[in-house]
Formats: sequence, structure tokens, C-alpha cells
Amino acid sequence: MPPSNDPFYAGLGQAVRIGTELLAALMVGGGLGWLADTYLFSSGPWGLVVGLILGAIAGIMNAYRAAQRWSS
Amino acid sequence: MDNPLHPFELHPFGQLSLLGLDVSLNKAVLMMWVVLVVVAGLLITAAATRRLVPTKLQSLAELLVDFIRGMILDTIGKDGMRFFPFIATLFLFILFCNLLGLIPGTYTVTSQIVVTAAFALFVYGMSVVVGFGLHGIKFLGILVPPGTPGWLLPLMVPIELISQLARPLSLAVRLFANMTAGHTVLAVLFGMALSLPVLIGWLPFAFTIAINGLEVIIAFIQAYIFTILTCVYLGDAITLHGHAEHAH
Repeated sequence: MPPSNDPFYAGLGQAVRIGTELLAALMVGGGLGWLADTYLFSSGPWGLVVGLILGAIAGIMNAYRAAQRWSS
Repeated sequence: MDNPLHPFELHPFGQLSLLGLDVSLNKAVLMMWVVLVVVAGLLITAAATRRLVPTKLQSLAELLVDFIRGMILDTIGKDGMRFFPFIATLFLFILFCNLLGLIPGTYTVTSQIVVTAAFALFVYGMSVVVGFGLHGIKFLGILVPPGTPGWLLPLMVPIELISQLARPLSLAVRLFANMTAGHTVLAVLFGMALSLPVLIGWLPFAFTIAINGLEVIIAFIQAYIFTILTCVYLGDAITLHGHAEHAH
């Protein structure tokens, strides 16, 4: 049982968590952009580009929040 | 040499259909039933005695329950105790899926993304329903981080929307990827140990033992992370200022 007050397990848990946090937001952002491109506006690559950028920002924000929550 | 992804393949034992739905059994379904029986059996036997001086099994169960309770109180607060049965069930089920899957010959149910995605979507859907149920339309305020100037809203709302939608995806992918990766590494190392001469073959074999130990830790940690994030998401939906604590 990893006790929640053991810094090693808590740290390991956080490390595993933040990586996927970055990736998932990027995937969702890019995916939404691509969907908008393909099915809504047929607007070339621009939806994908904007979606990826927004997704990257969201991912970094998520990772930042996760780290903040841990350090407080 | 065997394909290292071979252990993840599922083949139905036979064709079985009910009302046009394919309900044939396979290893993963059987394994889920085994996990259910093990968890329920363990806890029911542990709770049967209820001594003041607990038996070994009872103190294990008390430890687990206390751990889950602490997790809920830390992340949601007292309001969260309503969700204790759900969160405890989720934690124990995922934990035992991960752990029992490490026994050779069994199947790791959580290495199928359809299972983890079902859990993640249900958890996220529940947090949304709870949020709208408690706060009504004001729940949409979760898309606006506190202290955002008005002219930034057109930018911040899409970003927040993406970061919300990323929650179920990251929940599902994290558990699935960790379980799959661990078992693939084990399969590759075992394959090397079998195909190499004994003189060198003992080395990957020794590694499989070490990695197996690591996998036990990972099994705990992944179950823990999945559950704690469930608590965090539910807590965000209940208190509605999930971002407020990040402001300072």
C-alpha cells in the first residue's frame, strides 16, 4: 500500500501523472481541430493548427496545475 | 520468437449471442468475474468477524478503507463521503485487476483501453452530472478560470474546454498505457531469456524479476492515481472552484 504521506510514492505518482496530462490535452486539441476541418468547415489545415496550439497551451496549463496542487 | 503483444490478444471461447448482441465470453470477462469474486470475498470475510482486536484480514480491510477515506477527505472534503462506496469500489476493482493480472497465466483487464475508457468516461460523465445537478447552469463557470480579464475570454474558454475534455482521455490512456507497457516489457524480457543461451540468458531473466517487483508498485500507483483523480474531478464539480486553490 503506498501511503499517501510517503513522499517517494506521492512523487512517483505525480511524475507518472503529468506526462499523460500534457499528451492528452494535445491530442484532444488536435482532434477537435481536425474534426472541425474535416466535417464542419473544410478549412484546410488551419483548424488542426489552431487546435494543436490551443491543446498545447491547455496541456501545459494542466501540467502546471497538477504541479501546483502537489506543491501546496 | 513470440510476438510480445501476443498476451493481449483476446479470443472468444465460443459464439454466444443474446438479442443480436455478441455476448461471447473471453479471458478478460472471466478475469473480471474472478476479480469481483476475490474483492467481494475478501472484504465480506474480513468484515464478518468485526472484532475489537482485528484479525489480520480485518486489519488489512480497515487499512484499505481508511486509506480510501483519507484520499476522499483530502481531495473533496466531508461532502465527498457520499461517494465513498463508488470510489472504494473503483479503487479496489482497478487495484485487484492490476495485481491479479501480474500472476502468470491470468489476464490484465486494465490493459484493454475499452475497459479503462469505459471507467474514465463514466467517472467524467458522473462529475459533469453532479456538477450540473448541484449548480445548474452556473457549472459552466468551470470553463472560466477566476481572475480572467474579459478580453481574454475568447481564448481562455476554448483552452479550458480542451483541458476539461482531456481529462477522460488522460485517465483512460494513463492506466491502459502503464499496464500494457509493463506487460510488454516483461514479455520481451522473457522472450530474450528463452531464446538466448543460459550463459547470457540469466541476465534478462533476472531483469524480469526486478521488473515484476516494479510492476507491483506500478499496479498500486496506477490504481491510486486513477482514484485520486476521480476524487479531484468530483471535488471540482462539487465545490465549483477547483481552480481557486491555484490562484495563490
